Amino acid sequence: MEEYHPTDESSFNPDETTNTIKECIDSIMGRVDYNQQQVNKWTSSICELSLTQLAKQGKPYKYIVNCAVMQKCGAGLHTANSCYWDTAMDGSCTVRWENRTMYCVVCVFAVAI
Amino acid sequence: MSEPAKDKGARRASVKKRGSVSSLGSHDVKAKETTGKTKDSLSTVSYLDEAGHQEENGRLVQMENTYIMGPSKRFPVLVVTDILKDVLGSYLQEEKYDAELCRQMTKTISEVVKARIKELLIPRYKIVVLISIGQLGEQSMYVGSRCLWDAASDTFATHAFKNSSLLAVASVYAVYFE
Repeated sequence: MEEYHPTDESSFNPDETTNTIKECIDSIMGRVDYNQQQVNKWTSSICELSLTQLAKQGKPYKYIVNCAVMQKCGAGLHTANSCYWDTAMDGSCTVRWENRTMYCVVCVFAVAI
Repeated sequence: MSEPAKDKGARRASVKKRGSVSSLGSHDVKAKETTGKTKDSLSTVSYLDEAGHQEENGRLVQMENTYIMGPSKRFPVLVVTDILKDVLGSYLQEEKYDAELCRQMTKTISEVVKARIKELLIPRYKIVVLISIGQLGEQSMYVGSRCLWDAASDTFATHAFKNSSLLAVASVYAVYFE
């Protein structure tokens, strides 16, 4: 596999990714309340839509998208990630989103090929 | 996460393996606008793991083509699942949910899992460890993930743990570096 990293354009851009993911979540869960039957479909759709948008950027990266949706009941949630990779080329971003009835945390990891 | 932004400055310097642990937590959140009791937090710990050994006048390193078609040693999913069970069980079996403790615990556990996987010495694999610890309440929670990668060489391992007051989900993703 040819390794080439000619310009800044082909590196991971966390800000652009954050905006992309926020739009994905808004489009799928923007106006709904927590629903046990639907949440499976929502997490799958968010992950798949995010992946599609990320792949459209055309950068030489493999992506991992993790989505957690939790109902708002006053309970706490902590998330941590630890990565063993090349910090020059790889990156991650995490997006927190909430509405009246639920929280959504999406983590995106981009690993260079 | 601030880590990638910080690293952009060092990006052209060398190919170093650097670990970073970032965690996100929310505890007893009421709506931000109403009571202002939100205690959302974001903290990042980072450190240098190995000395850089490929610096070249500050340019980004170009690697030679290896002509290898696939991984010589595949990622051992079952071994890693056992590691996750072991680590989560030993760290969380007797613990009660507490915001400060769990904040530290998520970072500690993710570092421990990463270190144990590194001990397996699987060549050319990049590792991502994701840990979530939540309070057991009346709510329901759903975690899903999708990956865009080469299914022949990349894989993942997950484990969920529960005790009387908390639940924990651990996921490890292994991506082959071609």
